[in-house]
Amino acid sequence: MATVTFTDATRLYPKSDRAAVDHLNLEVEDGELLVLVGPSGCGKTTTLRMLAGLEYVNGGAILIDGKDVVGLPPRDRDIAMVFQNYALYPHMTVAQNMSFSLRMAKLPKAQIAERVRAAAKLLELEQYLDRKPRQLSGGQRQRVAMGRAIVREPRVFLMDEPLSNLDAQLRVATRAEIAALQRTLGVTTLYVTHDQVEAMTLGHRVAVMKDGVLQQCDTPRTLYERPRNAFVAGFIGSPPMNLVQGTVDADGVRIGATVIPLAGRPPKPVGETVTVGLRPESLVLASAGNGIPATVSIVEELGAEAFVYAHLADSATSGLNVQRGIIVRLAPHVAPRSGELIHLGVKDRSMLFFDADTGLAIET
Amino acid sequence: MLRHYAIRLLVLLTLVAFAAFFLVPIIWLVLAPTKTSEQLVNESPFAFGSVGNFAHAFRTMITWQGGSLRIWLENSAIYCLSGTALAVLAAVPAGYGLAQTRFIGRGTLLWITLVAMIMPANALILPLFLELNAVRLIDTAWSIIVPFAFFPFGVYLAYIYFSAAIPGDLLAAARLDGAGEWHVFRHVALPLSLPIVAFVGFFAFVADWNNFYLPFVMTYDRSQYPIQVGLQLAIVGVPAPDRAMATLIAITPVVILFVLAQRTLVGGLLAGAFSG
Repeated sequence: MATVTFTDATRLYPKSDRAAVDHLNLEVEDGELLVLVGPSGCGKTTTLRMLAGLEYVNGGAILIDGKDVVGLPPRDRDIAMVFQNYALYPHMTVAQNMSFSLRMAKLPKAQIAERVRAAAKLLELEQYLDRKPRQLSGGQRQRVAMGRAIVREPRVFLMDEPLSNLDAQLRVATRAEIAALQRTLGVTTLYVTHDQVEAMTLGHRVAVMKDGVLQQCDTPRTLYERPRNAFVAGFIGSPPMNLVQGTVDADGVRIGATVIPLAGRPPKPVGETVTVGLRPESLVLASAGNGIPATVSIVEELGAEAFVYAHLADSATSGLNVQRGIIVRLAPHVAPRSGELIHLGVKDRSMLFFDADTGLAIET
Repeated sequence: MLRHYAIRLLVLLTLVAFAAFFLVPIIWLVLAPTKTSEQLVNESPFAFGSVGNFAHAFRTMITWQGGSLRIWLENSAIYCLSGTALAVLAAVPAGYGLAQTRFIGRGTLLWITLVAMIMPANALILPLFLELNAVRLIDTAWSIIVPFAFFPFGVYLAYIYFSAAIPGDLLAAARLDGAGEWHVFRHVALPLSLPIVAFVGFFAFVADWNNFYLPFVMTYDRSQYPIQVGLQLAIVGVPAPDRAMATLIAITPVVILFVLAQRTLVGGLLAGAFSG
């Protein structure tokens, strides 16, 4: 078990003028499961590979247990990694795949057999030990990849989108298994995904990245409730947060023709523009004249709740350059029908504000 | 629909034409020893003489000049198997190294490999002769085996294979699993590269077996000749059907090898095309 620290870690690919990972500062605590999340190309996998020693580090330091590992070959870092495509050795059986690292470390045969057996039992792979990877299903291959990492008893686990090749149902089940396994083993884990639901459900803390820059690293709840900028606000949450343009008014914040009253102090001086963040569950149906008018385009009934996709009516947005699509989370029995004109009110103290130019959150 | 069939017919006719172009000489060669010298000149090239003639030609050539053909075949086997083994031993790790590692001078090495590959092999024979003469290896088996082991085409084939067919993550996984570069090659890359080993081996063997000029320059002693150099002695004083038999005997090992290796070779050709 170990702590992992990135200090100004930077990766600049040759012939590129923009860093794939730009001065990353991040600390992973001992035994923590930290999820790196972001859209594709944000540098999350590069970060993982830098820690693994599979990627050159142009600047800064990466410390495991306080010792800089930059420059150490991968085999000397005591790190195990689960790859997106599993990278199982196709010519070896499940048992040979799992024992490869132990054989490389020249452990006694009895000890190797015992560790493989224990990992196979934990992952319910006992009856597949003599099979080759091609004879296994996707879910079984995924478990073998996990097993290969577990038998090592490494200081740090790295997981690079390990669930992305599984179907939806298996993904949810395996997600829970990974969380339980990580808790049992207590090994410091860095987990990369582009799926924010996976990030929120798995991570003790979640680090959101964009364009090689760390945007925010916090607990899932803090990320959701107090995003540091508009990007994090829009990325975290499913369905995503609505980000609309508003103007600070003497009585509140004006979105189109509607003024939403403020409970706290105004985010900016009167007359200035702000980006208003509205979670789908922060919006409620209001009576005509008491909310933002919108026309319903699609209603998704999910049983316990309904997602209403609406367009802000022209009267609400005329002359303004604002996002017109808006998503509302409602109880199914109050959901309107497609084509209906609705009015949307905002729950008290649920609005978030971001600087219209920098996107940074404004405390109110 | 009609156009579809017309295209298929055209493709089929083209393939048949190509197959015929390459098959006709072999058919002629197989039929030639069944005929007498007169029949060979007067009858249709595809006429069949008799099995007796074929057997006679075989007996004649096997015993010709005190069984020289057998000695030359054995020499060819020794030169080609040794040369091929050395070529594979050198080319496969070299191709792997060029594909998977980054080092100073890698680009230059690749460029030299490419130049050596496209350079006519015969252009190197004089300098090779001078080199081997300087170390007194001329007229020994080594004067043929050592140049045979030099196979830049194999290096390039292996380089292409290891660049494209082995997923980088597989090697990365092995490195993270604690394997050093030698073990990564030995335990992961090499077991997955059997198609390219077969491919390089086959090409090296065929090139070596059919090589006439290099052994012709390097050997004086008839007992050191490989089959291709020995065959030239049969040009004078041996009847045409018997000469055809000698040629047939000379090409048979390569044909057998191709038939046996065909499946693996096609696998090697396609190995880079499909992932997973």
